[in-house]
Amino acid sequence: MFTVALPKGRLENKVCELFSACGFDCGGVQADDRRLVSFDQGGGVRYLHVKPSDVAIYVERGAVDVGVCGKDILLEGENDVYELMDLGFGKCRMCVAAPVGFREDFTSPLRVATKFPGIAKAYYAGKSREIDIIKLNGSIELAPILGLSDVIVDLVETGTTLKQNDLEIVETVLPVSARLIANKASMKFKTADIKRLTDALGQKGETV
Amino acid sequence: MAPTESKRNQLLTRLRNFYECLGYTRFSMRRFEEYGLYLENKSFLKSENVLTFTNPDGKLMALKPDVTLSIVKHARNERAGLERVYYQESVYSYSSVNREVTEIEQMGVEAMGDVDGYVVSEVVRLALESLRAIGLPCVLDISHMGFTAGLLDSAGLSSEQQETALKLIRRKNAHELEAYLTGQQIATKFAQRIVQMTQLAGPFDQVFPAAQKLSANKQTATALDELKALYDTLDGTAEALRLDLSMLNELDYYNGIVFQGYVQGAPRAVLSGGRYDLLMRRFGKAADGIGFAVYLDELSRTLSDRRALDADVLVLYQSGDDQKALHRAVFGLAAQDLRVITRKGEKPEELKAGKILRFENGALKEVR
Repeated sequence: MFTVALPKGRLENKVCELFSACGFDCGGVQADDRRLVSFDQGGGVRYLHVKPSDVAIYVERGAVDVGVCGKDILLEGENDVYELMDLGFGKCRMCVAAPVGFREDFTSPLRVATKFPGIAKAYYAGKSREIDIIKLNGSIELAPILGLSDVIVDLVETGTTLKQNDLEIVETVLPVSARLIANKASMKFKTADIKRLTDALGQKGETV
Repeated sequence: MAPTESKRNQLLTRLRNFYECLGYTRFSMRRFEEYGLYLENKSFLKSENVLTFTNPDGKLMALKPDVTLSIVKHARNERAGLERVYYQESVYSYSSVNREVTEIEQMGVEAMGDVDGYVVSEVVRLALESLRAIGLPCVLDISHMGFTAGLLDSAGLSSEQQETALKLIRRKNAHELEAYLTGQQIATKFAQRIVQMTQLAGPFDQVFPAAQKLSANKQTATALDELKALYDTLDGTAEALRLDLSMLNELDYYNGIVFQGYVQGAPRAVLSGGRYDLLMRRFGKAADGIGFAVYLDELSRTLSDRRALDADVLVLYQSGDDQKALHRAVFGLAAQDLRVITRKGEKPEELKAGKILRFENGALKEVR
């Protein structure tokens, strides 16, 4: 059985649409559907609907053969997987944002609130800037408002949330989009299944 | 059903015998080395988290995170002849995810000295047979560092650019690799070749002609010749052999043939090795070297000995029973290669046994 991990939430609709259009029917997304596993009867494919930040772990540990997740998750987790394709959607940017009019004080470490401590650390290490990381799990935008941090490092899609909270983008760390990843062993033992998927996704990608 | 030795021990015994039969001798070593050894060769290690302690002389010591470095360090400094060793040792690392120190048993083979084409084929065959001994469908990916190095050199990549490119090649990340090389002003002709390298994986016969088309200079041509010679030597014994030119080890240590083994059911490589002449040079040794390690920890799930029954036979007895007769009966069963458990009183609820016998009046009777 060929198993695919799909991310719940933001990317879910787009991914299911794309997979279905490529002949990998993952059942679509129904609002009240709480099942975590679905099947593509004809193709013998099993789909797992998991939290996006867990997709790379499922793939790395071989619980599934391939998965779709954001580049942000891959950079943060540094998972040992093959990164086969950029699916070209779910595009957003990893950014540094600060209160409008923020002036950085270079005499003390920068306090950075983020869900992505690994990415933030690597980014500022590249600039030789000393930072104090504050790991939060949500509503990152609150941190600078309350004075908990100087800046935040977070994903920005439209910028609306930032604007509504009087924050603005200071720097772009890197662009992010959805990626198709594969387990290293699966790549050897389920080569044909994976090729069928990448070929289909590749063709579809070219026509989009 | 006979009580069996654990699958893991069976595998270890099989591998040891096999290595011994081909002239490899066991190499044993201390559990620790001076930390400096690992500090200088950090990128050779699988994980950078080395466990350290200070010895009474104030020297910083490390619990061995790796065996190859110790063997190479102690290898004799002669080019002629060949030193064949194998090892079965514990290595230690610190897992930052689990915040826990882990001890892993590693088995491996090293051949140091005059490493010619035959020796390469011998070690690769040993790797293949080691994988096969696990008893599951397996794949041994082979590649050649010279091919990669030659291709990257021909494109004129700086060492910093090479490092980024290698990282992306290892992940088969063609899309980012292409964008990166274009951004670095690498000529399209060379960039395309490097990008295509990520796709060169599969059965040897199919992939080799495609690799030949990418060959760019003398170094890549020599690498391909070596791969071909190896494949021809192993032909007929090596259905599990695949070519995967995106599979790479560290350029600072490895120079020739490199390989990685996978078995079905284990999510990561269970065997890894290659030719490390450059590592030998770093230790000032004139000899060349090639070897591999089997990661027994990656196999722990596939070699699981979980059994449906706690025992083949459960013997129930009462206090006051004839102790001597009971003793004889139990050891009699064990002598028939049955796993026996005795209990005084009634059968415990959670215990699962193939057969339950009650010891009554000096004899065993089956309980239904």
